[in-house]
Amino acid sequence: MIPTHPIFLRQLRNKGRVNMSERSGNETRARRDFLKLGGLGLAVGAAAAATLDPHKAAAQAPAQSLLRTVLNRGKLIVGTGSTNAPWHFEDDKGQLTGMDITMARILARGLFDDPTKVEFVKQDPASRIPNITAGKVDIVIQFMTVSPARAQLVAFSRPYYIEGVALLTSTKGKMKTHKELIDAGKNAKASVLQNVDADKLVAKALPNAQVLQLDTQANAIQALDSGRSDAAVIDLSTVGWLVKRNPDKYLDSGYHYDTQIYSAAMRQGDPDWLQWVNTCFNVNMHGHQTDLYDQAFGDFFASKPPRRVPGFPSI
Amino acid sequence: MIAYIANTLPFLWEGLLVTLAVSGLVVAISLATGVLSGVGLVYGPWWVRLPIRIYSDILRGTPLLVLIFLIIYGLPLLGIDFGNYGSAVIALAAFKTAHVAEIARGAIQSIHYGQTDAGKAIGLTFPQRLQYVILPQAVRRFLPPWINAVADAVKGSALVSLAGIVDLTLAVQQVIGRTYDPLPMYLLGAAMYFIINYSLSQTSRRLEARFAYIRE
Repeated sequence: MIPTHPIFLRQLRNKGRVNMSERSGNETRARRDFLKLGGLGLAVGAAAAATLDPHKAAAQAPAQSLLRTVLNRGKLIVGTGSTNAPWHFEDDKGQLTGMDITMARILARGLFDDPTKVEFVKQDPASRIPNITAGKVDIVIQFMTVSPARAQLVAFSRPYYIEGVALLTSTKGKMKTHKELIDAGKNAKASVLQNVDADKLVAKALPNAQVLQLDTQANAIQALDSGRSDAAVIDLSTVGWLVKRNPDKYLDSGYHYDTQIYSAAMRQGDPDWLQWVNTCFNVNMHGHQTDLYDQAFGDFFASKPPRRVPGFPSI
Repeated sequence: MIAYIANTLPFLWEGLLVTLAVSGLVVAISLATGVLSGVGLVYGPWWVRLPIRIYSDILRGTPLLVLIFLIIYGLPLLGIDFGNYGSAVIALAAFKTAHVAEIARGAIQSIHYGQTDAGKAIGLTFPQRLQYVILPQAVRRFLPPWINAVADAVKGSALVSLAGIVDLTLAVQQVIGRTYDPLPMYLLGAAMYFIINYSLSQTSRRLEARFAYIRE
């Protein structure tokens, strides 16, 4: 059916623009034109990169405080996750719960006298800072470790928890205690959640261990379950939560170290909003409204905050 | 184990519906825009071909994840915000459009020019030639790679979970976040994706058989 005789092909070629060789000519030309436009593409890309730079975005903060916007809107929009117990996770009924969620409810109670007036925007940990700078959320409460580097990009609230780090080991693993892991040297593999300075974090407990950085804490633990790592370097709060729930599966290697400050994060350049959040946290952690905080502390960390002592302010 | 899986099914079901909705939207939008672009690439004048060519080359050469983040976080800084769901669907559809355009272009170009000549010879106008001569033949060559692209869209839709949209992947992650028992959940999630895509490839085979009556 397809004519292949040379004369026929030549006729076709002479005929017009749709035969194959002509088309590939068009293609090449189109591609060449595209290359010419490459400079323009670069310029557009550079412009986009400039606008996406969080430093610049932070400098374009709104003149009016977010506090008024939130009050007028009638609900608080909180960026958080849904995949990390005991911080933010769905319970058996599919309701978001956890310490981060409680901190959001505390803010909603302070704003509207109603802890339920919160809209949670579920986000990946990697989206915490972008969602703030893009103005998609009023505040991020998602077990966010305060670091000076991050503080250049967002405004952190006062701390609401001091997290520690611990090494979770498996009852089936070769290395169960911190000493066994240290003795194994670089034969020990440690899985850890991708984070600022995650390598250094592991090195503090296991200076020679190989580091395996993973995208969620659950995957860091999965690596331990599947034998890809000998220890999961995870939050102390999670080790406590897991060992209590699965004593036949997991062990606490016994070494707790390093403190990390957890704070809520907001857009820079809005002192009224930041100050209000700090005040609300203070009242709920040290003042006359500590019921929600204390309840969550017991539920999620199985412990109690120290007794608040009247007199000299400890905050 | 069975009880564990049974308990989690209602949560995954919601996510599955979101995955199907996102995939369906993406496939429908990209089919319309992609076929139009493909026709433009073949028959359009240079000022139609050139932008489509640039668009298609850039989009196919960009990682989908970068595109999603660019639309979700880049556009709001310019004052355009489609919301996370809208942004993710737009990003996936824009990406898929480039692929469908190339599939359509290839399918149309594979129909020999003699067919167009014959159409002209009996006095068919351009739309008529497309409708009655070229496209019915091109459909056959379009379908198999397009179904591949659809299956790819279903799998690619898992990336919307990074935008915080609770699709099947994020629903799986959420259950894992509660139970810290990932393996059964990952297997279950993989099985669900497989069932969707296997039914798609079966449909593809049916369709190919259905159009096989046309002889070259």
